Amino acid sequence: MSAPAEQLPVGIEACDCLTPLGDATATCDGLLAGRRALVLTPVLGRDGGDLVPLALLGPMDETLTPRWLPELHGLAGKIPAGAWGTTRFPVIVTSSNFGVGSLYAFVRDHDVRHLTHGTPFATVEMLRGEFNWGEQITIFSHACITAHLGLAHAARLLHAGLADRVLVFSFDFVSPFVAGGFHSLKILNGLMPAPYALRVHGSIGLGDGAAFAVLSREAGPARIAAHAFHNEMFHFTGNQPDGAGFTTCAASIAGAAQGRRVWVKGHGTGTLEAGRIEAEVLSHQFPGAPLTGWKGSLGHTLGSCGLVELAIALAALRRGKIPGTVGGAAPSFSDTVALAPFAAKDFDGAILTSNAFGGAHAAMLLTHD
Amino acid sequence: MPDLLSTRLKHLIITTLKLEGVQPEDIPDDEPLIGSPRFGLDSIDALELVLAIEKEFGVKIGSSEESRQALASVSALVAYLRSRTPGA
Repeated sequence: MSAPAEQLPVGIEACDCLTPLGDATATCDGLLAGRRALVLTPVLGRDGGDLVPLALLGPMDETLTPRWLPELHGLAGKIPAGAWGTTRFPVIVTSSNFGVGSLYAFVRDHDVRHLTHGTPFATVEMLRGEFNWGEQITIFSHACITAHLGLAHAARLLHAGLADRVLVFSFDFVSPFVAGGFHSLKILNGLMPAPYALRVHGSIGLGDGAAFAVLSREAGPARIAAHAFHNEMFHFTGNQPDGAGFTTCAASIAGAAQGRRVWVKGHGTGTLEAGRIEAEVLSHQFPGAPLTGWKGSLGHTLGSCGLVELAIALAALRRGKIPGTVGGAAPSFSDTVALAPFAAKDFDGAILTSNAFGGAHAAMLLTHD
Repeated sequence: MPDLLSTRLKHLIITTLKLEGVQPEDIPDDEPLIGSPRFGLDSIDALELVLAIEKEFGVKIGSSEESRQALASVSALVAYLRSRTPGA
């Protein structure tokens, strides 16, 4: 039985992202054109290894100025001015990786300077100094639904009157450590991902991604109207085979979306079992709603995917056209899977979902004028 | 007479997964390795086993589906290795 979704609507004052295709608008345009950012790349970077699909903003190596820092500076320059990190304007940083690749580099190179930006706290402290944020920073990390949790926490702060505006900032850059981990699970392999496609072997891609959103109680043209979460706690890496975990979360957000005409941006990494369950559950909960996913182009941006894909969804609404499932192919697990772009004008809401190791599920309802 | 490859694999399984008190003859050839109530191997065990098999036999298991198929049982693993390494 599903708990009702948490309906704490917030306005999205600003939101943008950075992927190898560019900012949110450029990324959306790339997806609309069917571009793939993923490139077959040695899984361990300069140490070689099998070729796997990665979408990178630069060479995957752990440099002493971490490679993500200059990229994040560019993104942070787009954040509206504010006393970020102070009591009324808190910052929430979400990531599943932070600078974990630097810990791998320390083990490899024995250079202690890598440790200055390796752990979550060290990483965020570095960001705080670089971006002149105050000390009111909360860190969230819960695998691939991390950004959803940060956005939901921001909504709670705003509705509790504990903040006036909240900055949610997320980034995940691929490192040999993380790519090697997924590769050892054999879900990151030599095949390009084909989200929701019924085929013999599944595969995912991994991608660099960063994004931010500034949320407030003011009703903007686009709003996050509700959040739903569920953790099935069935298995580290597997889901309940009957799809009950997916159903619980999807039914919860479907309740909040009742009466709306929605499209669905799913998780869609390209794994077979989860992809099948996800597509079946979403098509059942949202009959006829087109289901799309973008990780077949951008790779999986892990803990940041919820925010990166929110920024792309907003750009798509501005364009009036929603990208289809790049990399997908017929036959799909559900006939609702949209392989081609579709018009936004037929809808007044979107469901954005993410799923994570541990059986964690998250969904949000995006509404717009 | 026990199949030599099968026995070698059972030794590998026992040492890789540190199955205390388990002898090769305790592992039936056709019992599912993953999810078996007797051995209770999970996906992390499977990961360790796959890496050990790749290292020991010089094969590359290409995807999680291939890995699941190969690890269905000791017999399946024997068949998989024989198909990939004719001399095994």
